[in-house]
Amino acid sequence: MTALLAAAIASEAASLPLVPPLLLAPGIDVVGSSAFGFLPGVTLVALGSALVEFLQPVNLLDVFLNGLAKSALYIMIAVGLTLIFGLMGVLNFAHGSFTMIGAYLGGLILVLTVSGATGGLARIGLFLVGVLVVFGVLAGLGGVLEVGLIRPLYDRSPVYQILLTFGLTLVLDELVRIVVSLYGLQPISDWQNVFGTRPAFIASSLGLGPVDVPGLALFQIAFGVVTVGAVWAFLTRTRYGLIVRAGSEDPEMTEALGIDVRRVFTVVFALGAGIAGVAGVLLMWDPVWGASVPLAAETLLPAFVVVIVGGLGTFRGTVVAGVLVGMVDAAMTWWFQNAISFTGLPQITIFLILVIVLIARPQGLFGVEGVGGH
Amino acid sequence: MTLLDVRDVHTYYGESHILEGVSLSVEGGEVVALIGRNGVGKSTTLRTILGLTPPREGSVSFRGEDLGGLATSEVAERGIGWIPEERRIFSQLTVAENVRIAVPNDRDAEAALKNAYGTFPDLERFGDRDAGTLSGGQQQMLAIARGLAGENDLLLVDEPSEGLAPRIVAAVAEALTAAAEETTVLLVEQNLPLALDLADRFYLLDNGRVIDDGDTDQVSAEDERLRRYLSA
Repeated sequence: MTALLAAAIASEAASLPLVPPLLLAPGIDVVGSSAFGFLPGVTLVALGSALVEFLQPVNLLDVFLNGLAKSALYIMIAVGLTLIFGLMGVLNFAHGSFTMIGAYLGGLILVLTVSGATGGLARIGLFLVGVLVVFGVLAGLGGVLEVGLIRPLYDRSPVYQILLTFGLTLVLDELVRIVVSLYGLQPISDWQNVFGTRPAFIASSLGLGPVDVPGLALFQIAFGVVTVGAVWAFLTRTRYGLIVRAGSEDPEMTEALGIDVRRVFTVVFALGAGIAGVAGVLLMWDPVWGASVPLAAETLLPAFVVVIVGGLGTFRGTVVAGVLVGMVDAAMTWWFQNAISFTGLPQITIFLILVIVLIARPQGLFGVEGVGGH
Repeated sequence: MTLLDVRDVHTYYGESHILEGVSLSVEGGEVVALIGRNGVGKSTTLRTILGLTPPREGSVSFRGEDLGGLATSEVAERGIGWIPEERRIFSQLTVAENVRIAVPNDRDAEAALKNAYGTFPDLERFGDRDAGTLSGGQQQMLAIARGLAGENDLLLVDEPSEGLAPRIVAAVAEALTAAAEETTVLLVEQNLPLALDLADRFYLLDNGRVIDDGDTDQVSAEDERLRRYLSA
């Protein structure tokens, strides 16, 4: 009986690959022509030569610049979320909808004001006007929503706030879908007219030494740096920023110093919504994102990843996590475009970072258990 | 003139009845000690005055104005400062920022900082350091410096000597004595000799009620009745 069992196990074992493919020496073709059964056509030889290619200074510089541009976008879409959570403890599920509304509103301003004769600098000027208008409108909307809907729920469990903001995102998305459809636009696909309002240098590539960098990427990097600098200066150089940081750590003590923390909540929610809207204006020119109703969900997920990886509610953590996620995303995009023809996977790596951080450091890179703060 | 008047206050945490009709008053310029065992309602009395744990019954008035229904920030704005138990400094703010935030006007912040460093010279060299990195004694100094920076008319001070080394207790006592020359103080303190030394009058609390009060110069730290109510 035992012999029969042993023979059966041996027979089963013989039919299984006993050595994991990745442990084999380079050049050994394992499953047919592929080293990875789930990625047809990928051999270790190909991966090895792709690695050599990847490590070429030109490619590393290219990936680095793309990574910076992606980092700028991730930080832009996450920073409002982290400000709001850090101070108020509210996980705002409507954040992505603010970004989506910002993208449409910014697009509307540019489509209405830019014509074929409008020069590049004028287009940038109109873009900045759009940024200011969108910031104002979204900050106003955020302030009204905080006072009217969220404030009555502060004394209840956080589940109420989550359900409320989740419901809010459904309402906002459907409202925009109706409005967009009424004007004959397809809400699911990007609003193409907006891409036509880009200045020539943003729509083309610029030669930086040996690397051709998309003008859009440079613009996004510059915009991200200015935004991070502005938020950092607000938090560390102004009295209001000082109050926000104190309120994030101990709202009761802050209140006992004569500071109306509820009013600060409104201002910070408005600020967070305004920055989310501005992120939308930046995304409307990017063909990877574009103005569409699904942009709300497309931005909300990476925003959550960045905020959680950085440590819920810490501005510094959000910036570092944004850069980390952006760089990994850029590197993986290069790999999946040049070495592995499976374009759906770069997105997965973002969530892989989330899983690794949650296992290794559940409070996030800069989070302190039980304490918010920036 | 009566600065603070607490009348027949009943305060609850959930269904737990913590203050069962506390009444006390503090005159302008006085230092009044609130003494009693752990858990008799001393800190809750301070929280009730600030509106952090509002009373269900009774009233609190400051300079004759009823504070009922006011938010804590509005109570504080009227000139009531709080140096809470366990310090509650902002650990992620620098030492200087902890003092600055207590001053409503940025222009007065530098003067407040100078005063704080004058009172506690130990703090000056840590001015740019995160307050969370300070020792317990230094954090207590900072909490007091922050409380004094607000230049309030009434200071509610909760267990300032708790868990401190004797050298720090002496510095804290000195700072509070100096502060008492310019402001009125309601002090919660378990260290009976220190409380009687600092205060002009006392209220003895037990089970959420005031059971005795009087002038501190008429009792001593050896007083049998006080000791009985203060021992655990």
